Amino acid sequence: MAYLELSGLTKRYRDSVAVDGLSLSVERGESVALLGPSGCGKTTTLRMLAGLVEPNEGVIALDGAEITRTAAHRRNMGYVFQSYALFPHLDVARNIGFGLEERGVARAEREQRVEDALQLVRLQGLGHRRPRELSGGQQQRVALARALVIRPSVLLLDESLSNLDAKLRDAMRHEIREIQRSLAITTLFVTHDQVEALTMCDRIAVMNRGRIAQIGSATDIYERPATRFVATFVGRANMLPAERGADGRLTLWGEALPAAAPSGGEVDVFVRPQRLKLAPAGEPAGADMARVSGHVLNSVFVGDHIEVIVAGPGGQRLTVEIQSGDAPPPDGAEVAVMWRAQDTLVFPREAA
Amino acid sequence: MTGAGPALSAAAGVVYALILSPIVVVLLLAFSADNFILFPPSGYSLRWFIQLAANGPLLNALLLSAQIAVAVTALSLLIGVPAALALAKGGFRGAEAMKSFFLAPLLLPTLIIGLALLLAFTPLRLTATLPGLALGHMTITLPFVIRMMTTAFAAMPDDIEAAAATLGASPRRVIRRVTLPLAAPGLIACAALSFLLSFDETVISLFLSGPRAATLPVEMVRYVEGRTDPLIAALSMVLIVGTLVIVVLVERLVGVARAFGNERS
Ligand SMILES: Nc1ncnc2c1ncn2[C@@H]1O[C@H](COP(=O)(O)OP(=O)(O)O)[C@@H](O)[C@H]1O
Ligand SMILES: [Mg+2]
Repeated sequence: MAYLELSGLTKRYRDSVAVDGLSLSVERGESVALLGPSGCGKTTTLRMLAGLVEPNEGVIALDGAEITRTAAHRRNMGYVFQSYALFPHLDVARNIGFGLEERGVARAEREQRVEDALQLVRLQGLGHRRPRELSGGQQQRVALARALVIRPSVLLLDESLSNLDAKLRDAMRHEIREIQRSLAITTLFVTHDQVEALTMCDRIAVMNRGRIAQIGSATDIYERPATRFVATFVGRANMLPAERGADGRLTLWGEALPAAAPSGGEVDVFVRPQRLKLAPAGEPAGADMARVSGHVLNSVFVGDHIEVIVAGPGGQRLTVEIQSGDAPPPDGAEVAVMWRAQDTLVFPREAA
Repeated sequence: MTGAGPALSAAAGVVYALILSPIVVVLLLAFSADNFILFPPSGYSLRWFIQLAANGPLLNALLLSAQIAVAVTALSLLIGVPAALALAKGGFRGAEAMKSFFLAPLLLPTLIIGLALLLAFTPLRLTATLPGLALGHMTITLPFVIRMMTTAFAAMPDDIEAAAATLGASPRRVIRRVTLPLAAPGLIACAALSFLLSFDETVISLFLSGPRAATLPVEMVRYVEGRTDPLIAALSMVLIVGTLVIVVLVERLVGVARAFGNERS
């Protein structure tokens, strides 16, 4: 049995199901991201773990003991709120020391541990400031220190970086990852930002509509998405309807696809834009390559790459990413688009 | 000033003058040297303040009113704040109905409350006693405290209290260490207003006062029924200054409570 086990966790509100039979196992010291669109039940899941929301069904077990109905203040979960939720009437040191005071830790030890925590999040010397005298990034660190100083069984982070500007977010991402690794602290990290999930966690659980759509390593999720939802939510995607030829094999834009088709039903073909290559029109495909032909609609310079939009005979569009150093073909040019057969995924049309 | 033209300013000035002019009249009368109310006074002195300091019934009434106001304020907060906490945070069924119920006395004419209390208190021998008058005033102040504090507690961000809970604070400790400190400005304002509401209360007090015990407003009404001299004006001056002191004190205290961080940035 894993260190943290959620099984069949369900939370219903009057007119909606926020979390729908969610099961998840997290090993000790592991960092798992809950990644999903807004409203898919991430926060509700974290709040149930912390004891702030009571599940209608399901079991939460920590280190072999069931804690489903344990009160929040007896769970020893370190929760970093999206809003930080610092105590505005206490200074930074007392914010961080709050959990230690509640645990009756003696003053001398408390002060030492608060000092260590301040150092850990690089806020030395700011202990006497009030929260509102700090910048957003500093407040975020205080919230993190406050949650870490109690040596929590599990660290729960709810979109903790989403209120920071892009630069700071990058820095904090690495910092939190470092701290999480060095303390070997079991962490659940809620985010709707795939880059955060991919870079900060050992495993990613992609959530959709209160359930886990897929769980696995960043590579699993990115290279082998299990569902159409995961494929389109994580990373950029081309998703195009495929036809079936007379022999039952798949064709795209009138050309045969070297991809196995699940039997029956309409299917869509999925391939990531950066896996596509442009070639002169008429160039034959190599072995184990897929190929379609079309003409360039336009090209968009996006900084680190260029997006080339290619339209097929039926007017459907593919996005091809090329390196920004390369010159894109002129608009209107006839081109061939090629990719490795193994980069093609096929999903049933109706399943979302 | 944004767009408020001179005409509007002038209008505002006139309104202020109308509101403040009775106070000016009282101010001048309080320092009158005349035997009767004569406006403007023919001379000025402190004689009515000296008379006031020797007036037993009015001073006794002042003392009683102050005692009642202190008791009413303490009890209203002691009962009202936990009730407001339960209503705002408890999330139990019927909380909405109870909120309306607690609001009801505020909508009832005080004449009716006074009469009802008189009828109820007479057999209990509570009329013209400090406990009776205090209970009477609480029919006004308690709904008021519950109402104000329910709003104050409900407006507080839940996450801050949730954070305290995840850090190991029991529900009681959360209230003590987070909820109440954050509500401090509201509590101070509530206390001051309860005090003033009770101190100023006249209608219910008229029903519940007797020869043995009368609050200051009642005693003042009785006084002006019998006589027309500037003594009451002198007393009014004292009350105005006292009220101003309380208002300034509250401003200061709320300011201090805010400085301790209750204001969200
Ligand atoms: N207290 C609540 N009352 C009613 N509905 C809620 C409540 N909290 C969350 N929900 C609903 O549950 C769903 C999941 O919410 P949430 O867990 O906050 O999603 P996420 O954090 O993934 O954005 C949403 O549709 C939301 O409207
Ligand atoms: Mg959320």
